Amino acid sequence: MSALGDRLYALEEIVGAESLLTDTEAVASYRVDGEQPLAVALPESSEQVAALLREAAEGGLSVLMRGAGRHMHLGAPPTPIGLVVSMDRLRRVVEYDAENLTITAQAGMPLGTLQGVVGERAQMLPLDPRGGDGATLGGVVAANLAGPIRMRYGSPRDLVIGLRVALADGALIKAGGKTVKNVAGYDLSKLFVGSFGTLGAICEVTVRLTPKPESRAMLVLAMNSAEVKEVTGKLLRSRLEIASLDIANEAAVRRMRLSLPITLAPELRIVFVGLMGDRAAMVRQENEIRASSGGAFARLDGTQGGHAWLSLREAPHPNSVDEIVARAALPISYATETVDLVSQFDGWWSVARAGDGVVYAGPPREATTEMMVDRLAELREFAQRREGVVILEAASLEMKRGFSVWGDIPNLDLLRKLKDAYDPTGNLGCWRYLPRR
Amino acid sequence: MDKKVRRALEKAVGRQNVLTKPADLLLYSYDSSTAEGRPDAVVFPDSTEEVARIVKVCAERGLPFVARGAGTNLSGGSVPLRGGVVIVLSRMNRVLEIDVDDLRAVVQPGLVNLDLQNVLAPHGLQFCPDPASQKVSTVGGNVAENAGGPHCLKYGVTVNHVTGLTVVMPSGEVRSFGGKALDPPGYDLAGVLIGSEGTLGIVTEMVLRLSPLPDDAQTVLAIFDTLEAAGESVSRIIAEGMLPAALEIMDRQTIEAVEASFPSGLPLDVEAVLLIELDGLTESLARQAARCAEICRELKAREVAVGRTPEEREKLWSARRSAFGATARISPAMLVNDATVPRTKIPEVLREIQEIERRHGLRIAKIFHAGDGNLHSNILFERGNPEDFRRAEEATAEIFRACAEAGGTITGEHGVGAEKVKFMSLLYSADDIDAQRKLKSVFDPEGIANPGKVLPEPAEVGSE
Ligand SMILES: Cc1cc2nc3c(=O)[nH]c(=O)nc-3n(C[C@H](O)[C@H](O)[C@H](O)COP(=O)(O)OP(=O)(O)OC[C@H]3O[C@@H](n4cnc5c(N)ncnc54)[C@H](O)[C@@H]3O)c2cc1C
Repeated sequence: MSALGDRLYALEEIVGAESLLTDTEAVASYRVDGEQPLAVALPESSEQVAALLREAAEGGLSVLMRGAGRHMHLGAPPTPIGLVVSMDRLRRVVEYDAENLTITAQAGMPLGTLQGVVGERAQMLPLDPRGGDGATLGGVVAANLAGPIRMRYGSPRDLVIGLRVALADGALIKAGGKTVKNVAGYDLSKLFVGSFGTLGAICEVTVRLTPKPESRAMLVLAMNSAEVKEVTGKLLRSRLEIASLDIANEAAVRRMRLSLPITLAPELRIVFVGLMGDRAAMVRQENEIRASSGGAFARLDGTQGGHAWLSLREAPHPNSVDEIVARAALPISYATETVDLVSQFDGWWSVARAGDGVVYAGPPREATTEMMVDRLAELREFAQRREGVVILEAASLEMKRGFSVWGDIPNLDLLRKLKDAYDPTGNLGCWRYLPRR
Repeated sequence: MDKKVRRALEKAVGRQNVLTKPADLLLYSYDSSTAEGRPDAVVFPDSTEEVARIVKVCAERGLPFVARGAGTNLSGGSVPLRGGVVIVLSRMNRVLEIDVDDLRAVVQPGLVNLDLQNVLAPHGLQFCPDPASQKVSTVGGNVAENAGGPHCLKYGVTVNHVTGLTVVMPSGEVRSFGGKALDPPGYDLAGVLIGSEGTLGIVTEMVLRLSPLPDDAQTVLAIFDTLEAAGESVSRIIAEGMLPAALEIMDRQTIEAVEASFPSGLPLDVEAVLLIELDGLTESLARQAARCAEICRELKAREVAVGRTPEEREKLWSARRSAFGATARISPAMLVNDATVPRTKIPEVLREIQEIERRHGLRIAKIFHAGDGNLHSNILFERGNPEDFRRAEEATAEIFRACAEAGGTITGEHGVGAEKVKFMSLLYSADDIDAQRKLKSVFDPEGIANPGKVLPEPAEVGSE
């Protein structure tokens, strides 16, 4: 048997033949940026994940972790992929402690399923990342993804209190715990959250939950771009219980296919204010928000409001494999100017999470690669001059080759030492995050 | 101390900012815990550059260094167990920037938490972490311990409110992690540094996330004849979907201590006082406060009071605020621990603690941040009585074991420091600890940053 054959056999021993895909056709749908893995494993337990990692390290097979595959577009083009470890079959609730507002679930649990489970007890995981209900808990944590309500509830970095992680050498470790407050030792979960599977494989996640708010509302304001900064700034500093605050330009509203009871125009910005809280406090908040801007105002009813929130949640998600989405992160007061800058590019859409300083943007379909690279470079420079960064969330392979996905990564030398410490053979992640030396 | 080293330190920060006289060193050989250790020198830098120079002097000679804020930590974190240089950050107490538009503040580590709050309040803003020690503890110390406080049930702990750090690494090199913007590419190094107790480097500047002050607040105080009933009230309140800003319980021992030192009119024949603070929009508060009061009455609270104005609220809080000091006054020697359990395990763990108390014939004054399961058991003992101290230590170990078994942790907010190192293996396997040690060895390969803290030596693992 070939050397590869031997290695694959060892993997098969771990998960069983039916859970190791090797034929070209089956493996094709796991391609990432055009790169096809040699094999795909579908483990059913954390122990199997750990064993796969150990085996892969010993056999020199590079490993790419995968949840539901909703965010595989995120990252630099991979080096050759040996093994994809899909967490698809790790979907169990390990422990739901409703009274303590925590839940532990396996990494492959789809977020929608998890929300369903905790929703029955009038609780929610306050996390609304793009990628649909099928995006997995582990994937969202590994990419530290969050959505419109991040400004109120935080990102996975804030919500994760414990992890079970398989390390490259096959050790299965615990980081953090089950209590909301815990300072016993280093909080390694901070290291694994947002590490894109390059330091270890997240197998189980313990997160904080919150009571479902009694009531929600979505308000829409339209105003001239010149007014947006002041209006959103005031709202952010106010004592109102705002859960989300998004700014969209005209092209973004069209791309989201939102029909609003408001007339759009290129110089107009649409501001979406999401409220969550007690019913008793809604009326006053609504009145204050309505008064905060002289422009058009609308309150979306339940269904429409829910639809708008979903559209805003999904706004940064690429509609096709080639669609380009950039993400800027700046000090929050620059969100408006960033949307303004993007709106000057021909036909570009932009949505800003005003409370987090995170701004998404993308070109129209007809833009040429050359033009896009110029615009992205301009945006990146704009952000860098303001202590911010721009990364490519999604792009074609061609684009990723022409424009660095992550830009300059600060403290790269130190990050590499960490990478070496946790993954000495450089096996995990196919260099989609830190560039290979 | 070696003359050459002393001169190098004097060169780094100026002669007047280096102490080496035995009497001076004594003052920096303890903190608010029972740990002790004498430094070889104490230095008072005034800038990131000076800290870097001091650390370089240490790095070149393999000399340990220990950062110190106000020394209020309760785990021996700022005690130089292996001598070396104590770096006191009290002179670096400036607010460098209040950036209202970006909702950020940039501050130096020696700034006292309450001084910061006082600067922020006129802008209608706050830095959410508010440890009970906020009048003295420093923001740098809060960051190094990932401090909590009464209000973290609703608002989270320090790490949720810090977006950037400037750090002097154990090599003397200066780096910054994060900043005013969120999500810089790369691993979350600011996240792992927060709560690392000065063992990965010294924080010399911090970017803090600011939040608007709440619209309004109301406080409910309920007095109970059993601790269980107080605990049950907390569970019911949360089960109904309310998320108070604070839920604090004091037991009889603590109430007695308070009334002996700072009388606030609490009856002495009760077992528990529950303090509930609700904040948010005025419209929701009245209803929520009324509902909390009702729940307490349903669970047979003997008395329930609601405070609506700031004065009324302060009065209800006063006993809680003075609790730690009052306890220390009746027994200056005490072992403090802050083991934490999932909230619903409180009644079960409480029964065990009461049993431990009885078995050892000790007095344990209990105060807890009940909302997040954080139990502060203050074990009183007689200073200079080794037998008494030994029993207090045994009781501590038993409490930790009980909490670990209940799915909890040995420290919720005070840190591991020197005192809890030997209990780490109650929570973590050798592999878990090894994974943590990897982090330490990347940041501090020579092991000179606050040695002896947080992680047990490899040989100690599994030998608790
Ligand atoms: C009465 C009382 C009440 C308390 N209440 C609370 C509470 O409600 N919540 C809570 O969490 N804690 C509480 N504590 C504990 C303590 O106040 C906190 O841990 C506080 O954050 C320590 O701050 P400090 O400035 O005193 O730091 P120190 O005690 O001086 O130092 C603490 C640790 O941080 C390190 N350190 C200090 N500064 C830096 C720096 N700039 N860079 C790197 N490392 C550094 C030290 O080496 C040490 O390991 C209380 C303590 C007391 C005495």
